[in-house]
Amino acid sequence: MLNRRNFMKLSAASATIGLCGATVLTQAADLPEWGNKGYSRKTGRERKMVPSACYQCVTRCPNVTYIEDDRIVKIEGQLNSIRSEGVMCAKGQGGVNQANDPDRILYPLRRVGKRGEGQWKRVSWDEALTELSGRLKKLKDEGTPEKFMFHYGRMKSSTSKMVKSAFLATYGTGTIGNHTSICEGGKWVAQEFTWGGHFDTWDFDNTRFVLNFGSNALEAGTNHIPTSHRLIRAMAERNVRMVTFDVRLSNTAAKSSEWVPIKPGTDLAVVLAMCNVVMSEDLYQGDGEAFLKYCKATRDNFASVEEKVAALKKHFAQYTAEWAEKESGVSASLIRRIAREFATAHPAVVISYRGAVAHYNGNDTERAIQTLASITGNIDNPGGRCKAVGPKWKYPHGPHDKPKARKLALMDGPKGAAVSPNHHMSHNILKMIKDGSAGRPEIYMTYTYTPVYANGEVQENIDILKDESLIPFFVSINPFYDESAALADLILPEPPYPERWDWEDMVSPVQIAEYYIRQPGTKPLGETRDFGDVVCELAERLDMPLGFKTKKEFVQKSCEMTPLIKAVGGFEYMKKQGVYHDPKAKPVFFSYMKEVPAEKYEQETVILDDETGVYWDWKKAHLHSEEEAIKKGYAHTKKAYKAYVGQLIGNTVYSGFKPDKVNKSGYMELYSNLLEDKGVPPLPTWTKAPEHEAMDTDDLIMTTYKVATQIHSRSANCKFLTELYHKNPAWINPVEAKKRNIADGDMIKVKSAIGEIEIEARVTPAINLGVLAISHHCGHWQYGRYASGNKAPTGQDNDPDLDRIWWKGDQGEHPNWIIANAPDPVNGQMRWMDTVVKVRKA
Amino acid sequence: MSESKQQVSRRDFIKKMATGSAAVATTTVSSVALPAEKNKRYAMVIDTRRCVGCQACSVACKTENDVPLGETRNWVEYIEKGEFPNVRRSFLPRLCNHCEDPQCVSVCPTGATYKRKEDGIVVVDSDVCIGCKYCIQACPYGMRFINPKTGTADKCDFCLHRVEKGLVPSCVNTCQGRARIFGDLNDPQSEVSQLVATNATTVLRPEMGTGPMVFYIDADHTDERDAEKQGIYVRIDTHRRQQKRV
Repeated sequence: MLNRRNFMKLSAASATIGLCGATVLTQAADLPEWGNKGYSRKTGRERKMVPSACYQCVTRCPNVTYIEDDRIVKIEGQLNSIRSEGVMCAKGQGGVNQANDPDRILYPLRRVGKRGEGQWKRVSWDEALTELSGRLKKLKDEGTPEKFMFHYGRMKSSTSKMVKSAFLATYGTGTIGNHTSICEGGKWVAQEFTWGGHFDTWDFDNTRFVLNFGSNALEAGTNHIPTSHRLIRAMAERNVRMVTFDVRLSNTAAKSSEWVPIKPGTDLAVVLAMCNVVMSEDLYQGDGEAFLKYCKATRDNFASVEEKVAALKKHFAQYTAEWAEKESGVSASLIRRIAREFATAHPAVVISYRGAVAHYNGNDTERAIQTLASITGNIDNPGGRCKAVGPKWKYPHGPHDKPKARKLALMDGPKGAAVSPNHHMSHNILKMIKDGSAGRPEIYMTYTYTPVYANGEVQENIDILKDESLIPFFVSINPFYDESAALADLILPEPPYPERWDWEDMVSPVQIAEYYIRQPGTKPLGETRDFGDVVCELAERLDMPLGFKTKKEFVQKSCEMTPLIKAVGGFEYMKKQGVYHDPKAKPVFFSYMKEVPAEKYEQETVILDDETGVYWDWKKAHLHSEEEAIKKGYAHTKKAYKAYVGQLIGNTVYSGFKPDKVNKSGYMELYSNLLEDKGVPPLPTWTKAPEHEAMDTDDLIMTTYKVATQIHSRSANCKFLTELYHKNPAWINPVEAKKRNIADGDMIKVKSAIGEIEIEARVTPAINLGVLAISHHCGHWQYGRYASGNKAPTGQDNDPDLDRIWWKGDQGEHPNWIIANAPDPVNGQMRWMDTVVKVRKA
Repeated sequence: MSESKQQVSRRDFIKKMATGSAAVATTTVSSVALPAEKNKRYAMVIDTRRCVGCQACSVACKTENDVPLGETRNWVEYIEKGEFPNVRRSFLPRLCNHCEDPQCVSVCPTGATYKRKEDGIVVVDSDVCIGCKYCIQACPYGMRFINPKTGTADKCDFCLHRVEKGLVPSCVNTCQGRARIFGDLNDPQSEVSQLVATNATTVLRPEMGTGPMVFYIDADHTDERDAEKQGIYVRIDTHRRQQKRV
């Protein structure tokens, strides 16, 4: 058990590389312990403690769960986690409410009235699975397994492997929808075109300057607490400066050294101008110039560093700070000052999120940010923007012989809607089903996903899901009665995460992999069943057994199959400790500089591609001969990225920036031939949303955001979170409010091309001119009484707090009613931040 | 409920019955009377430079202490001030100050509320409390409420059930910025002592003479009165049912 003193030591030690000025405080001997031990308030007795993992948001911090009288009563951070270092956010603390929500669904429900009418019949699991497996079997027998569509929201790690890689693959459907495009799919695609495999880790422990475009890192984010607590430490202990460009004074902007209000959708202009400053003022010299060796900046993959410098200077010359000022409203002198500061602070980290990238021009915004980091030498270095490092679990794959998956082409949106939607266009799936030209599923199953609430154009989502001629059978796998479950034909209740098993694999901000598991604090309540267990039974019923019978067994087998975990005691170790990292492991930086050993690229089936300088294994690309491979070439062979071996730079073969999803080279591709060949400018280039070009003078751009106390759409049932945040007034600048005769607290009407909502106004100087900001999380009409006031069909009255909901009827409004399901035309990302609206007093 | 605690509260109760409502400052006298090395003086330092208003402490307190909806032992106020674009937001975590001279204790007619001699934590003995609400009126910080479950006064007790077992309060445990530092002010080596000794700290409403034991580093104490005086925009969000700051 760590005590506070050890903890301080650990914190200091994890801040490596000697830049950290953290001091280890002298502690008194009888200092209180930090935690991971708990006592009952009622009896004083020590509580049972189970090491587990959070699953409120995708960060999935290791936690510990306390149990008293067979109920989960408390959750806190796992002190032995190198990622979270034992701290936890409000959402993680509120996870207790997920398990104890009186509106949980406790047994399978079958619709009896009209769809969406709210009439339900309790059915047994046998009855539910007999019907479901019967329908699944019929489709399989008819040779149309693709008519079973599976659409998931929050599904990762072991659950994903069991459901997708084992169950669905064995069944034979490839009609699998995700939700990445409404999340950060755009960032991923832009990264796949630049440095390969997605996800950027921000090394706050070692950085000296943070440049932030549209990330609310202190309130939310895909690796929230592991990075945010390090950011606070960097600012508080080492005086690290952070400059935040955001349309709104988020809490992250509020804690920044400077908040720079910017017009929505113009971060790209500022970043391009910063690239201009770095190139035109020769600030790339030094680390940036050295890094250019590993970059591709021209059409020619064999260009010299001088040629690359010349090409970048030429390209960015058009984007002067004065030009960017006109687009963004940010002064040219400020752009220059911050660009210079960023370029000379080395190491410095540029971070980004939806505020910058969920726009029409999001793909090039992220590519420009990657470019800015590259030309200042801040890629994959201590203190910079790093390639993600996560654990590599081994796991059972299910039956060896799997059919070739058949699929309906519903996932990537209408033809031509996006150039390269590598992570699909989930927000267009319902539209595609309505359209029907790519076929329609007969069974539509959602898992921890609420297509109605999570996407834009809410009314259309409802209309489509209600229409039995479009979707004949809708199954919702859900712990709660959300807005989508209310429209289902069959609800299969899963326990919320504190009662589930999983192995977990989220990336680590210290560049050392952390292995951890989730284990149930108590038995699943009522008749709820882990969906991992359910797919095993479904597989048995379909005569295609998966080779494991429960999620627990899957996790256990994975622990025994993963060498690092097996070596320390496997499943038993993980159950007891919850987390593990290799104490001998060193942080992984500069992974691209690793040289590929000759025996690897001199293998018989490995050849050098003349066009790109990529060594690739043509056999792995499913080609038949070297001649065929030479003739087709690496870049033009389907899925050749899977056959990548290394990148020739000079006379050395480097592991480079390994491609994923697209056949890029092993360079950091600032210049993309792949995009160029698809008609997209190869270097990051200014574009603007067409509707922003055509705005009336009194139009505003509506943006969305998240707060620190709610996850996107699945936490409003947590009473302690919703007590803190249950309404979401629209932020509007006093100048804009005055023009429209709107006073603080007034009701206003917000009208977009899609529709109109009525919402309270919050008149505040903490937002830029020309913007209206409305958070997510609120305006639920289902999800139980704490979220919406509406009782779920199986709701119980066993929580006295139900009588103390003091915010009844004051639950805010959901902005998605009026946001179009429009994609970034390059990567397919949902454009959350582009909605043009008219605002008037109600 | 420990035996010694009950004895203390009964003794105080009897004392107060004897001297009437003028029984003040007894706690200070008694704490001086005990040998210093045996006495702790628990206190908290809140370094607002490290607070990002994430509210993990607010929720941790709710779950740890099963605080009913509508009531709060621990919350974080947001103070937004300035004019666009020169506007800032700062964060002020609030909890019981565990005052050296607690006014809630002086007005309590039954001795249910008392300051523990062994560590200075101000507690409420719900077995003795009669729910008269004097303490709620008396507390200049608005920290107290009647718990609807017990009908008696309630407030932050520094997570006494944890502290007694050698654990930090739950709000301290969860704080991602390590903005909350808990410890013994009577131990000069403790982190709280060192922070108080080496930083300019402030307390809330020092003019009340209560001797708060929650010390703030770099806190913005702006309130609505300042807004009126200075003619600037100030908005305070308490994030509780009681939307006005106390």
